[in-house]
Amino acid sequence: MAEDIVDVLIIGAGASGAAMAWSLADTRMRIVCLEQGDWTNPSDYPTNAANWESQAFGPYHINPNQRGLDTDYPINNDDSSVNVVNFNVVGGSTILYAAHFPRLHPADFKVKSIDGVADDWPIDYSTLEPYFNQNDRMMGVSGLAGDPMYPPKQPPLPPLPMGLVGEAVAKGFNALGWHWWPSDSAIISQPYEGRDKCLNLGPCISGCAQGGKSSTDITYWPEAIRRGVELRTRSRVREITVNDQGFADGVIYYNADGEECFQRAEVVVMACNGVGTPRILLNSTSPQFPNGLANNSGMVGKNLMFHPVGFVQGVFEERLDSHKGPQGCCILSKEFYESDPRRGFVRGYNMQVTRGSGPLNTAMAGFANGTIPWGAGHHAAFANRFDHVASIGIIGEDLPEAHNTVTLDPQLTDAQGIPAPKITYRYSDNSLAMMAHGLARGEEAMRAAGAIEVTSAGPLRETGWHLLGTARMGNDPKSSVVNHWGRSHDVKNLFIADGSIFVTGGGVNPTSTIQACALYIADTMKKNLANLFD
Amino acid sequence: MADLLGTDHPLSIAQRAQLDALLDTLLPASTDGRLPSAAAVDFPQYLNTQAPDLLTSIAVILGHLGDDFAELTDPEQIQRVNHFSQSVPDLFKTLLTHVYDCYYQNGQVRHAIGMVQGAVFPEGNEVLSGDLSLLDPVIDNQHRHQYRKV
Repeated sequence: MAEDIVDVLIIGAGASGAAMAWSLADTRMRIVCLEQGDWTNPSDYPTNAANWESQAFGPYHINPNQRGLDTDYPINNDDSSVNVVNFNVVGGSTILYAAHFPRLHPADFKVKSIDGVADDWPIDYSTLEPYFNQNDRMMGVSGLAGDPMYPPKQPPLPPLPMGLVGEAVAKGFNALGWHWWPSDSAIISQPYEGRDKCLNLGPCISGCAQGGKSSTDITYWPEAIRRGVELRTRSRVREITVNDQGFADGVIYYNADGEECFQRAEVVVMACNGVGTPRILLNSTSPQFPNGLANNSGMVGKNLMFHPVGFVQGVFEERLDSHKGPQGCCILSKEFYESDPRRGFVRGYNMQVTRGSGPLNTAMAGFANGTIPWGAGHHAAFANRFDHVASIGIIGEDLPEAHNTVTLDPQLTDAQGIPAPKITYRYSDNSLAMMAHGLARGEEAMRAAGAIEVTSAGPLRETGWHLLGTARMGNDPKSSVVNHWGRSHDVKNLFIADGSIFVTGGGVNPTSTIQACALYIADTMKKNLANLFD
Repeated sequence: MADLLGTDHPLSIAQRAQLDALLDTLLPASTDGRLPSAAAVDFPQYLNTQAPDLLTSIAVILGHLGDDFAELTDPEQIQRVNHFSQSVPDLFKTLLTHVYDCYYQNGQVRHAIGMVQGAVFPEGNEVLSGDLSLLDPVIDNQHRHQYRKV
């Protein structure tokens, strides 16, 4: 019987794995993707029921430790200031993300040159620009051309409605003379590619029942599968194996029945995010790679970056219909995005205006902070806040530091006995100074907008969405894991296409840039098929 | 009222009265009559269908309030609930979460606060586009609002 061998094996079916699979399908190679989770059914998402708010704390909870599905792996956050949040299904965390879709700025790729910190990327904005555009078309991105804070770009769909929330905060930004612009959002504002437009349900981060949000299970994957890519769900990879020549030759994984399987492959692509990818690499030890696969530099799992996140909330006298519309996508301000060391920190942050909560979260938040009591005073206090709030998320750039790591936990394992990741992470002084500045500026904006009550908090713990930097890209094999097109320095047929390869993180939600990198890597692989391993 | 708490967790008539009094203390009807009391939105049915884990705790919660809770005056009931919330804060928070969850699913309540009835999908919401002319100051000052060229 002939040995079953695939040309390209992709591990992970989230944001980057989907883009990679779709792009490589051009080659007509045999491509298989292994995904530890299942397909999700939009009919099961919480917004199909009246109790969508409480359901969001069940099987669609953003924290895998709370969710506890057998397709998840536990994460030890005990030594971290941030809890990792993710989703292990087809579509990955795009199922639960807010779909705020800004790109990194050109200067984000040149941090060392500009500020003398961290490192420059070996590629730049212009390298990724065609892939940003391609990704916007594939995902379905809504936005408004002309933002002076970016090089010219044309989102394929008009912007999402700002609503009363956006108008209110925009007036505050205008009063201060600050930049703002409608957000680029991976949510379709008009019917697009067979999908109907966003219905403004609100709680995007528990899954979009309607399909207006562009998660990769409904964008890239259907197209990739039609083009011949095989997607195997409930297939959890334990380790990548190598042959005597030091090439990856396959993976050991557990199938849906928990049986150990081996899949041979000519090329392996990691697309498991900035925690999942180092976890598998570190668990893939061999005589050639005793410290983990592709880890001769010792950089696998190091330089973990999140984005410190804080929130400023303003309560307005007038009703803003806050619970209506995509919660995380409205307008943004880049007034303090580009670096200015005179502020007391380097790099900068994005101000992401978000809409309000539903009634349960409003009432419970009010109970927690003492603004909405139970008892006779409840209704009046609730009425003053529900649908009367706007928020500004402060999302700052987090610089890479070698002591912020993903390692293998010596005790904790997943359902198959694979070691769980252990996160070691502390905010830097730079990040904390940036956050303090951002919260103060956010409060200033809210007051300028006319908020009658302003509160702020940050950095917040349950915000570890953006998992970056743990297998970084670079030209020097001594200080980086992959080269300028995502190929491992040590293992010539191993590629990494997720947020692990980020050299620095910018100060915006990274999914757009992660996917642009994946498309760029796939395209570069296609251009170099004849000498892929040279 | 629905068959209270199912056959596995029956409550006496006195306990039912206690529970109603507790719900009315936590969320009384609004003075203008637009919003009902939490005792009027079928919390027992909610427990049976959406929060079975809390069923076993109801008798414990009522035990904290005392057998005479339903006969107390409003200020006395508030005092008892305050004491309960301070002595067993986690249990009280769990209870309150469920009371609010049930309450804000009720059709009359949702209508009163301006929400769609039932699930938000597929009806969805209308959101104003917003006035993009508000961008004029940004566009007029785009020499100042420029990305850094490298």
